Amino acid sequence: MPFTPKPHAALLIVGHGSTENPDSSTPYFDHADEIRRLGAFGEVHCCFWKEEPSMREAEYLIDAEEVYVVPDFISEGYFTQEVIPRELRLDGPTTRRAGKTWHYTLPVGVHPSMTGLLLARAKEVAPDADPAQTTLFIVGHGTGLNQNSTKAIKDQVALIKSSGAGYAEVLDAYMEEAPLIADWATLATTPNVVVVPFFIADGLHSYQDIPVLLGFEAEPGEAASQREVFRHNPHHLQGKTLYYSSAIGTERHLADVILDQVSDFDAKHLLPK
Amino acid sequence: MKLSERLTEAIAGGICQIGQVAILPQAGGAGHVLRHIDDGDTAADLLENHHGPAAARDISTWTEDGRYRFTKAEQSLKRGWQLHLADDAELLQALDLFYPAAVGLWLAQQDGRLEVEHLRDKLNRQTGMYRFARNLSDTGAQALVREVCGPANCCVKKILWQIDADTPLEDSEASRYDGIPGDRDRTRALPLLCREACNHFVAEARKASKAESDAKAEKVES
Repeated sequence: MPFTPKPHAALLIVGHGSTENPDSSTPYFDHADEIRRLGAFGEVHCCFWKEEPSMREAEYLIDAEEVYVVPDFISEGYFTQEVIPRELRLDGPTTRRAGKTWHYTLPVGVHPSMTGLLLARAKEVAPDADPAQTTLFIVGHGTGLNQNSTKAIKDQVALIKSSGAGYAEVLDAYMEEAPLIADWATLATTPNVVVVPFFIADGLHSYQDIPVLLGFEAEPGEAASQREVFRHNPHHLQGKTLYYSSAIGTERHLADVILDQVSDFDAKHLLPK
Repeated sequence: MKLSERLTEAIAGGICQIGQVAILPQAGGAGHVLRHIDDGDTAADLLENHHGPAAARDISTWTEDGRYRFTKAEQSLKRGWQLHLADDAELLQALDLFYPAAVGLWLAQQDGRLEVEHLRDKLNRQTGMYRFARNLSDTGAQALVREVCGPANCCVKKILWQIDADTPLEDSEASRYDGIPGDRDRTRALPLLCREACNHFVAEARKASKAESDAKAEKVES
């Protein structure tokens, strides 16, 4: 949806980041640059859980009195419901503290417009694969610790199934809980398989762990930015044709989803009903 | 006044260094040029030219020998580049990529509104796998400052925090460090400030706390 610019407000994109992999924070900076280019906010900043600036340092970066905080995370759960509110000292959708007003939106991964991004990425990575002969996997981390961590993926799978995109099957799968992505070849009954990692960054999971679980790499490789050659699709494995995409969060249009979350926040919390 | 305007005012007042980055004066208000402090006098044609703030992230992500600089105040910024920035806003954005929030933290300190978080408060709000860091002893914490912080360990931030409100850090090179790398005029450098222990410190605190716990268990068994 068209975004009404907010020249007097700041956007704070919150990411995870990594002390081991520099590619983990690249998408957040890319999304910030894209939103600056669009002129949507007077200021655009990033802060992180594992990198600098930390969330506690973020307020020192910001001039504006009104700040929209958008978690550039996939699901609602431990980080968006516990860590970010604690670190940024947010006590609800809107928090007023020390002369600033902080609006806290939902994470990007739960926005309905993610469906279009996932479908576009699947088409882009496997342009010649007939959807009727193809299983589309949306892959997440999964954890026994938080039920919410799989909800965003299950929701997207349901939305893609009902989208009319025509895939023979659309399945959710995970690194650490059933259904396991390592079992992709038995879970999928079609000759073609497209795998889209539902992660923000091409960090350890999407570039190093999942390729091993899929079976086209024997051991975790180097960070994405340290490779000379991008992965080549398709991979012919276990009698099937496998197409593997980079993480959905590296998609440039994720910047639009960030803005969509801000618009949705305004519609829900700020505009007169 | 905006942060970028205050920064420009500080530069006009003589500030010309932040961390290992030198801010070179430009004639006639023609933007700003940044270089490594040790390249301040190098002929321009010997340096690689970059334009725009986003390049600051590329320059500062890797050390000369290809190691990932996840702690930005590491004293390991590579040399051989100069970065051209068009205006005050680009300058602040670039410096925030070299040294995240450093300008804002310093200005907040000047205003007397910088909130410092002591180590116990920082460790006590850790959850998940880092919760164990809370159990680190004061002795262990003091030792860890010497082992993790300060220029001997490559970090050039000035530590503002204590163990807790009543327990200052023991005297060491790390606790004394003033946040300004290089042997330059202290009045013309903006110091890098550490208002709370970083993630790297917390991760090390977790390891040290586990080691203390294991050592205690061994003692009981023997």
